[in-house]
Amino acid sequence: MSQRIFGIRHHGPGCARGLKAALLEWKPDVIVLEGPADAEEALPLAASEKMEPPVAMLLYPPGEPRRSVFYPFAIFSPEWQAIRWALAEEVPIRLMDLPQAIRIPLDRQAEEAIEKALLEAEAKEQAENEQEDREEAEVTESKQPESSENESTPEQPTRWRTDPLALLAEAAGYQDHELWWEEQIERRADATDLFDAILEAMQTVREHYPETTERDLLREAYMRTTIREVQKEGFERIAIICGAWHSPVLTEAALAGDPAECSSKEDKKRLKGLSKEKTVATWIPWTYDRLSYRSGYGAGINSPGWYAHVWEHPQKAPTRWLTQAARLLREQDLDASSASVIESLRLADSLAALRDLCSPGLRELNEAMLSVLCHGQESPLNLIREKLEVGDRLGVVSEETPQVPILEDLEKLQKSLRFKPTTAIRQHDFDLRKPTDLARSHLLHRLTVLEIPWGHPLHSEKKTSTFHELWQVQWQPEFAVDFIEASVWGNTIEEAATTKLIDLAKKSTKLTELTEAFDHCLLADLKQAIDPLLKTIQKQAAISSDVRHLMESLLPLARVTRYGNVRGTQADDLLPVLEGMFERACVGLLPACSNLSEEAAEEMLKSMEKVQQTLELLHREDWQADWEKQLQKLLTSDLHGLLKGWACRKLLEQGAIDEEALQVHTRLALSPANDPQKATAWATGLLRGSGLVLLHLNALWQVFDRWLSELPEETFIELAPLIRRAFSDFTPAERRQMGDKVKNLDQLAPTKKESTKQGDSELPLQLDRARRTLPNLAQFLGVPYDPAS
Amino acid sequence: MAKKVARKKTPRKKAATATASNGNGVSETDGKALRLHAEQQYAAELEALAEVDDRQRPPNWKLSPWAVKTYLLGGKLDNGFEVTPKYIGRERLMEIAIATLATDRALLLYGVPGTAKSWVSEHLSAAISGISTLLIQGTAGTDEATLRYGWNYARLLAEGPSEAALVRSPLMDAMSTGRIARVEELTRIPSEVQDTLITILSEKMLPIPELNTEVQAQRGFNVIATANNRDKGVNELSSALLRRFNTVILPVPDGMDEEVQIVERRADQLGRALELPAEKPALEEIRRIVTVFRELRNGVTEDGRTKLKSPSGTLSTAEAISVVSSGLAMAAFYGDGVLKASDLIASLVGAVVKDPVQDQIVWQEYLQTVVKDRDGWKDLYRASREVGA
Repeated sequence: MSQRIFGIRHHGPGCARGLKAALLEWKPDVIVLEGPADAEEALPLAASEKMEPPVAMLLYPPGEPRRSVFYPFAIFSPEWQAIRWALAEEVPIRLMDLPQAIRIPLDRQAEEAIEKALLEAEAKEQAENEQEDREEAEVTESKQPESSENESTPEQPTRWRTDPLALLAEAAGYQDHELWWEEQIERRADATDLFDAILEAMQTVREHYPETTERDLLREAYMRTTIREVQKEGFERIAIICGAWHSPVLTEAALAGDPAECSSKEDKKRLKGLSKEKTVATWIPWTYDRLSYRSGYGAGINSPGWYAHVWEHPQKAPTRWLTQAARLLREQDLDASSASVIESLRLADSLAALRDLCSPGLRELNEAMLSVLCHGQESPLNLIREKLEVGDRLGVVSEETPQVPILEDLEKLQKSLRFKPTTAIRQHDFDLRKPTDLARSHLLHRLTVLEIPWGHPLHSEKKTSTFHELWQVQWQPEFAVDFIEASVWGNTIEEAATTKLIDLAKKSTKLTELTEAFDHCLLADLKQAIDPLLKTIQKQAAISSDVRHLMESLLPLARVTRYGNVRGTQADDLLPVLEGMFERACVGLLPACSNLSEEAAEEMLKSMEKVQQTLELLHREDWQADWEKQLQKLLTSDLHGLLKGWACRKLLEQGAIDEEALQVHTRLALSPANDPQKATAWATGLLRGSGLVLLHLNALWQVFDRWLSELPEETFIELAPLIRRAFSDFTPAERRQMGDKVKNLDQLAPTKKESTKQGDSELPLQLDRARRTLPNLAQFLGVPYDPAS
Repeated sequence: MAKKVARKKTPRKKAATATASNGNGVSETDGKALRLHAEQQYAAELEALAEVDDRQRPPNWKLSPWAVKTYLLGGKLDNGFEVTPKYIGRERLMEIAIATLATDRALLLYGVPGTAKSWVSEHLSAAISGISTLLIQGTAGTDEATLRYGWNYARLLAEGPSEAALVRSPLMDAMSTGRIARVEELTRIPSEVQDTLITILSEKMLPIPELNTEVQAQRGFNVIATANNRDKGVNELSSALLRRFNTVILPVPDGMDEEVQIVERRADQLGRALELPAEKPALEEIRRIVTVFRELRNGVTEDGRTKLKSPSGTLSTAEAISVVSSGLAMAAFYGDGVLKASDLIASLVGAVVKDPVQDQIVWQEYLQTVVKDRDGWKDLYRASREVGA
């Protein structure tokens, strides 16, 4: 029996190539792979021809999919190559890493410990205040969970250890340790002895920097235990494939108990008494884009597209890369001739030579392209980075792969509703009176609740009827992952959306958020969530002290009561809630409006407009009267001008005050005694909304005119932009009419004109003085002057 | 024309000695020249590098690319010899530039004024060819003859077309001897004259139809052109020409400290060339000048709190250097030899205020909003009030 260790880097194409060559040559009869042991059942699925990487192995406890873990593989991942080789050669594969079945309870324990520690810390604080004697005992107690918190690593325990590698890289004179690994390991053409070298390097590092994380020690103990079991089964050649970091503790020496902490006795001790949980393993499609995230292995890679390229074309990688880049640039109508490609390649080659590299890497190629193809401009290079370096490849999993229930539910719905997902952008106009359209609308709304934006609601300008709904729909492959994430909430879409909303109802304390959720809840027809949401809304409305929140919440609720019938939902329960909220809003309005700054007043105005819309929607006369009463109060109080102006306008529109009263208010508000800023704000508030009504209020214009002309020049210049802004919301036609009106304002003011005429005639005629001109006049006219006549 | 003949005649013969460059003999007497060529000033460094350099050299290169890199970026040689850095900035850019020249591709150094384009080009050619004087100064009046060849008309009339009547351009010289020619301010040369370069760069030969002959470029020939993209009145490069260059954009210095280092080093060297008796420039003053330049250039104060207007000028590092060195001169001749705000202020204002109306407003605003309130800058503010700017 012999065994060999292949210490690899996850997603390293050089490692993958070396590993594949070694497997072909050595032909092991069993492969022991670093991967959660409970995922073994999903491995045979990888043999299918239809599986196209990037794909990810997904492990989750069925009861709690929130704790799901992904193990992504690309075509250039050494593990993927090993799996494919083993499945093709019918060599058994064993996964040796600590199963998620054990890890998940551990994670939970760790989290609970943290919570407990926090709770106890709180308790400690209280205890400190109350009783100083018991203090010491409490401290020692609460210390224990804290220390376990330090030991147990957070959520992602398998982070790539950068520090020891950085030390090796620094020893080799590299600043960038990733680059060092890349050049030393991944781009090595000759892979013989590669793994021995890695093992040796890692052994040295681990001698100086022993693994201390409890979780990783546990994992390594489990790995050794698995290998020992495999050894007992009597295989001839055992290939052990693991992350380079773990390789030194999996050697034959280590398995035999050297060093002592690796002995089977120690391992057994360590692994004793761990609880297990059921987990499910499956495959899902992955993308290169997501490969660059941190995931189960924690080894995010920056340039998956480049690695795939290097894997697929080991021979002429730089040439093909540059050609592809040039073609990409040409597609974007950027100048990129073949001659330039040749020059880029030459420059990249000589850059590599200057840096003592045997072939140009991504860095050299990028710099060469920047200099030759892009003429020093960075922006085309970003395009190359996005499209080539990262790439947009999407994996495919075979059909027999078991799916999460929620995805099955989705497919069933898509079939029954004849609503196939496509990646093209489509627009749908649903007629909610038709059952199929209604069901589709429910589906899209439910997905919106689950934060899966398959469809975006559009607001149609033309069709305002409540039974039409416009959607823009576009499917994205990543939704598959979103669905799995959403499967925490339930196994069908309806169930998941309901649970999520109920959860929100339990947690949220923001009234606006709740009412919005309620709106969604009815749109998505999630009957079971109605009650809990409604109760929470009631509760929050009762204790909410923020009047603006109350006011903002009214509109979505009012909408619900109105279209309740179209959608077949019962919303009668809602009216009492709505009524209560409205009353509270009315009571709180006046205090909430006082002492507001410019911005706050603007916000307040928006909320008030929403209340106004609510009233228009509901047609409740008693409410209307209440509201008007409040607005009347606003008029006479000392508030921000904007609000007063707006209140004045609304009251006028509803006929609650007449033109005369308006004139009085306008004069008061715009009198020179007032602060001009405040007066302008008032005018702005008044001018909100349609201009047509204003056009017919002659008195208003006159007061306005006088106010403006009485302003001192400096103040006028200061206020001109504000006034201009107040008028800017009107349509051009309205503005033109207003202009005409202002031009002819004199004719509209007969009283004023008459008064000026009277003024003229009142001057007495001075006869003596006029008489003095007579001699001269007579001389001009050539008539004799007779002073007597 | 006669002057041109006189100028152009000598350099080819003496170029190898790397001391004569102007034909009229000014630079032959070392030590009196106002400004020494790179290969003169750093002769010792080049020699030391050549001594230890045992790596592969491209044909006709005086140094290997690795040694050229060390020459530009500075470093310590194995024998303990210290090479001063010529370019302070990103190492990667110099690598691209050297690798470009090693692949026989022409190099275009592009950027706003004052980013050390000419400086880099001079040192590159000094290190690679041992001579930095095969130089064509691009102007709006540069004609084809400057780039290719002209005629000594007296001879042409007397003897007819012959080699002897030909006035060779630096470019032609560089081609026939396999060295690097420099074209300064490429974008100032009229477009139709720029086009002359296209065939030279792609065919690597220059036909002389009058003599029914041609000049073939020898290995080692290359062109380094510099161009700037911000000045007024420049001619855009045609895409055909641009395609024949590898472009390296030299950025303005990244950080404050880097820029201070550049200004200090250069001002120090210039001070020596001018034999100023003033002591070494006070770092504090330099830091202040660089801060003023950076803040006005970026339109925001270094702490990122106050937004500023930018003046119409470019405010390059090169201008900062000249402000400091003229400040040094002021301090030496009219002051007490120590660089002070009052010595700097006149040239500082001159550098900032290029447009007498608009820039004046910008400068006044800067004085009032930034300089006036900044700790320890009172003297600068007072000095600027005194000169009435």
